[in-house]
Amino acid sequence: MNIRLARIDDLSGMQAANLINLPENYVMKFWMYHLLTWPQISFVAENGEGKIVGYVLAKIDDETTDANSAEVHGHVNSISVLRSYRRLGLARRLMMLSQEAMLTVYNASYVSLHVRKSNKAAIGLYKDTLGFSVADIEKKYYGDGEDALSMKLYLKR
Amino acid sequence: MSRVLGIPPKRALPLKEASLFKEVLTMYEARQLKKGLKTADQILKKFPEHGETMCMKGLILTHMGRREEGIDLVKKGVRLDLTSHICWHVFGLIQKGEKNYEEALKSYIQALRFDKENLNILRDAAHLQTQLRLYDGLVETRHILLRLRPTVRQNWVSLAVAYHLSGNLLEAKKVLEQYERTLKNVPDYDTEHSETTMYHVRLLEELGEFTEALSLLDVSSKSRVIVDKTAIMEARARLLSKLKSDESEHAWRVLIDHNPDCTSYYHGYLASQGIDSDEASLAILRDISSQIPRANAPRRLALSFASGDRFKELAKPYLLSGFTKGIPSLFADIKLLYKDQAKLSQIQALLEEIRAENAPDSAAPSSSTFTSQPTTYLWILYFQAQHFSYLSQFRRALEILDEALKHTPTLPELYTCRARVLKRAGDLFGAARSVEEARLLDGQDRFLNTKSAKYRLRAGLVDEASALLGLFTKKDATSPGADLEDMQSLLYLIEEADAQNRSGKINLALKKYIAIQKVFDEVEDDQYDFHGYSMRKFTINIYLNLLAWEDRLRSHLAYVKAAISASRIFVAVHDDPSIAASLASSGQLTDAEKKAKKKAKKAAQKVQDDSKKGNSQQSSNEDKGLEPTAPKDDDVDGIKLLGCSDPLERAAKFLHPLTTLAPQNIEVWIAVYDVAIRRKKLLQAAKALKHACSIDVENPELHIRLVHVRRTASALPQEPPVPIGPLFKESLLELLPEEVSLETFNSQYLQRHPSSQQAILAAAKVSQMLQAPLQEVENTLFAALGPDAKLDLESSQAILSYLKSLGSQRAEEFRLTCDGKFDLSTVFKSPEEQALLVKQALSVVIGYPDEVEAEA
Repeated sequence: MNIRLARIDDLSGMQAANLINLPENYVMKFWMYHLLTWPQISFVAENGEGKIVGYVLAKIDDETTDANSAEVHGHVNSISVLRSYRRLGLARRLMMLSQEAMLTVYNASYVSLHVRKSNKAAIGLYKDTLGFSVADIEKKYYGDGEDALSMKLYLKR
Repeated sequence: MSRVLGIPPKRALPLKEASLFKEVLTMYEARQLKKGLKTADQILKKFPEHGETMCMKGLILTHMGRREEGIDLVKKGVRLDLTSHICWHVFGLIQKGEKNYEEALKSYIQALRFDKENLNILRDAAHLQTQLRLYDGLVETRHILLRLRPTVRQNWVSLAVAYHLSGNLLEAKKVLEQYERTLKNVPDYDTEHSETTMYHVRLLEELGEFTEALSLLDVSSKSRVIVDKTAIMEARARLLSKLKSDESEHAWRVLIDHNPDCTSYYHGYLASQGIDSDEASLAILRDISSQIPRANAPRRLALSFASGDRFKELAKPYLLSGFTKGIPSLFADIKLLYKDQAKLSQIQALLEEIRAENAPDSAAPSSSTFTSQPTTYLWILYFQAQHFSYLSQFRRALEILDEALKHTPTLPELYTCRARVLKRAGDLFGAARSVEEARLLDGQDRFLNTKSAKYRLRAGLVDEASALLGLFTKKDATSPGADLEDMQSLLYLIEEADAQNRSGKINLALKKYIAIQKVFDEVEDDQYDFHGYSMRKFTINIYLNLLAWEDRLRSHLAYVKAAISASRIFVAVHDDPSIAASLASSGQLTDAEKKAKKKAKKAAQKVQDDSKKGNSQQSSNEDKGLEPTAPKDDDVDGIKLLGCSDPLERAAKFLHPLTTLAPQNIEVWIAVYDVAIRRKKLLQAAKALKHACSIDVENPELHIRLVHVRRTASALPQEPPVPIGPLFKESLLELLPEEVSLETFNSQYLQRHPSSQQAILAAAKVSQMLQAPLQEVENTLFAALGPDAKLDLESSQAILSYLKSLGSQRAEEFRLTCDGKFDLSTVFKSPEEQALLVKQALSVVIGYPDEVEAEA
C-alpha cells in the first residue's frame, strides 16, 4: 500500500473508485478542476499493482467562494476507500495528510465535510478518530432525500 | 470588441446606426440578448447587407437557443464582410462552441489579420493553439500578449509555459527569471507565487541544473516564498539524490517521518545510502519499523527483500497480524510476492502451520503472542481459499470457503471470494449467484452492488444487471445505463458492451464501445478551459502534467479494449453487410430493452418539446451558451450505427491513437491490419504486420493474417502502381518467404505448437481458408482436446463456436467432451441446463425479486 499526493494521472483511478463505491458521482471535469485548483490537498492510496483503492478529494473555500464564511477553510468533497481495502486505516491517514496540507499551504482555519446521517462508520471515524464535531444538520442534502451531518474540525489552537 | 480605422464603405454606418451597433456589442457582452437582438434588427432594417450586424445578430440568436438560424446568419454575415475582424471573431466563437478547434483557429487568425492587437482574440487563439498542440504558434501569440500587456503577471508565466511546451526550456527559464526581477513586495503565504517558484525549480531540474535548482529551493523555502512544505521536502530529497549529496539520506528520512506510508520515500532512502545487499536493506527497514511501529510499509517492503528462513521469520508475524485484524486485502498484498516460487511455497506451508495453530479445536498451543479469536481463523481460511484459487485449485478453494461459511455465514467477503473462484473456474452463473448473496447481506453498499451487477453481465444477464445498477443510479435518468454513461463509468460501459458482444447483439455492443470513445473525447475537451484558468491561478506544474496526461489519455485499457472490439465489429459488418440488416429486422429487443427504449424516446420527445417551447418564447433572455445541446438519440439500439456507410473509416479512426499509445499491444496491430487491408491501404497493412511480428512472431492471430495477406496480394486484380506495388511486395517477402507454400507454412506452425489450443484454432482457420475439407479442419480442431493439449477455457470456447460457425456435425461432441474436462465450469452446458442455472442464479433469496421489481 502506498499513500501519497494525488497526481493528474490518478484522475481516472479516483473517478473509477468513486463510481464503484459511492452513490455521489462526478464527471471528470469536476475531478480535474479540484486537482488543478488546489493541487496540494488531495491524496490517494494505491495498492501494490498501482490501482487506486482510496482517495480524498478536497478544496479550499474562502469569502469569495463561500458567502457563509469569511475564514479560509478546507472542505472534503469526497473520500472513499474500496470495501476490499478497509481496516487498513487508509481513510484516517488520507484525511490527516489532507488536513495538514490545508493548514500548511493555505493556512486554513478549519476543515468541513458532509456525511450521510446513517453512515455510522464514517461518522465514527470523523468524530472519534479525527476529532470532528457536528456543526449542523442539512435536511435532504443527498439526492435520495437523506439528511447530511455537516461536520467541522478546527485545525489550529 | 473595438473598432478599427480605415473602414471600408460597405461597413460604414451613419452616425445613428454606428452608435446602435456599439450598443449591440455592449448588450451582447452583458448578455442582454433580447435587447441586443432588437437593436440589431433596427440596424438591419435600414442596412440589410451589413455583415457585422448580421454576425452579431446570428451570435445572439445562437445564444438564445435558435442555433440553426443564428449560424446561418453568421455565415452570411462573414461572406458580406470578409475583412472584418468582428465577423471572423464571431465565426470563430461559433466554431469553438462546436469544439471544431481547427476551424475556429483559422477564423481567429483571419480576425487577427484585421485587428492585430485585439487582446480577447489573441487570448482565445492561444488557448486554441494549446488545445491543438501548435506550440510554435503559441509562443508567437504569447509573445504578442506580453508585449501588449507586460504588467500583467500571467502574461510572463504564460510565455514561459509556451516555451516549455515547445521544448525550449532555456528560453522558458530566461522568461521566468526576467519575470521574477519585475516582482516587488510579494507577501508571505502567497500560494500563487509559491507555485510559480516551484515551477522554476522544476524547470531547472529538467534542465539538469540540479545545484541551481537546490539553491533556489532552499532560498525560497527559508524566505517563506514556497509554502508547500511537502513539495519542498520531496524536491529537496530528489535533488540531493541526483547530486549524490550526503545530505540526501537525511532528506529522505525526514519524508518517511512525515508520511511513513509512502513507499517511494523508502526506495529513495535506501538508494541514498548506496545499499547493495538485501541484508543491509533489511537492517535499515527493521530500524525504521521499530521507530515507527504503526507504519506498515517497512514491514511489507522487508518481505520483498528477505528470502529463505529470514523470509519465513518475517512473513509469519506479518500474516498473523493481518489475520487478527481481519484485513480483507491481505492476499492481494501478499500475492505480489508469488512471482518468486520459493516464497509461494513458503507462504503455503506457513498457512498450514498458522491454520493448525489457530483452528478452533486445535490442541496445539498458539505460537503467536495474540490470543486467537474465532474471526482470526475465519480470515486464515479466507486467505487460504484465495491462495488455492490463485493456483487454479478451485475445488480445494471451494472446500475451504465452505468451511469458512459454516463458521460465519454473514461475512460478504466470503461470498465474493467464492464468486471469484467460481468465475475463474468457468461457473459464471454460480459466481453471479454467490456475489448476489454477498450483496444481500449489505444492500446499502454500492461496492457489492457494482460487483453483483458486473458478475451478472459476465454471465450474460444484462437486464438483471441493469435492475441492480438502478438501485444506485439517478431515478430521473432514462435508464441506469444512461446515468452511468453520463457519469463516465468506463467499468460499466466496457462490461455491458462485452456482454452484448458475447451474446451476439453487436449493435448494442457497438453502441457502448462508441460511448467509451465519446467519454475520452469529452475528457480531451475538458482541458480546454484550463489553458486560461491555470495561467490565472499560476498552478503551472500540475497544468503541464495535465497536458502530458491528456496526450496519453487513450492508452487507458478501456479505450484499447473498446477500440479493438469495435473495429472487429466494423470489420465484420463490412465483410458481411447482411448482419446489420438481419439484426435490424430480427426485433431482438428484450422486454427491458423495449421499456428503456420507450422511456428514452419519451425523454427525447420532451427535450424536443422543451426546445420548441424555447423557440416560441422568443422573448426569453436566457443564455443557452454556444455549445450545441446533444441532439436526441434516434438510434438507441445502434442499428443505424451498425449499418453505417463507412464502417472501416470509423474503425481506423478509433484505432489510430493506439498506434502511438499502445504500440506494444499485438492485438492493436492485428486490428489495424484487418482494417487497413480492407481499405486497400496495402503499405499500412504490411507495416502493421511487421510491428506485430516484432512483438510476437508466433502469435496465433498473426499467423492467420500472414496467410491472409499473401492470399490477398495474389488475388489483387492488378499490380498496384509504383512505388506502392514493389514496396508492398518487398515487405511481404520479409513477412513470409515466397518459396514456402501456405499449406507447408501452416503445418509447420502447427508442428511448432502442438499443445496450444489457440495455435490449433489458428491453424484450423488457415486450413479452412486454404479450402481444406471440413473433415480435416475438424480433425485439427479435435487435437485441441488431445492428451498433449494444454486446456484453457476461453480457447476451448472459441473452438466450439468456430465449429458451430462451420456447421460441423461434431460440434456437440466437442461440447460434451469439454463439459467433461472442465470441472465446475458451466460454459459447456446445454442451453436447457444453462437456463436452469440462470434461474438458480437469480433466485437467491425470497423477497429479493420484489425489490428489483420496484426499481425496474
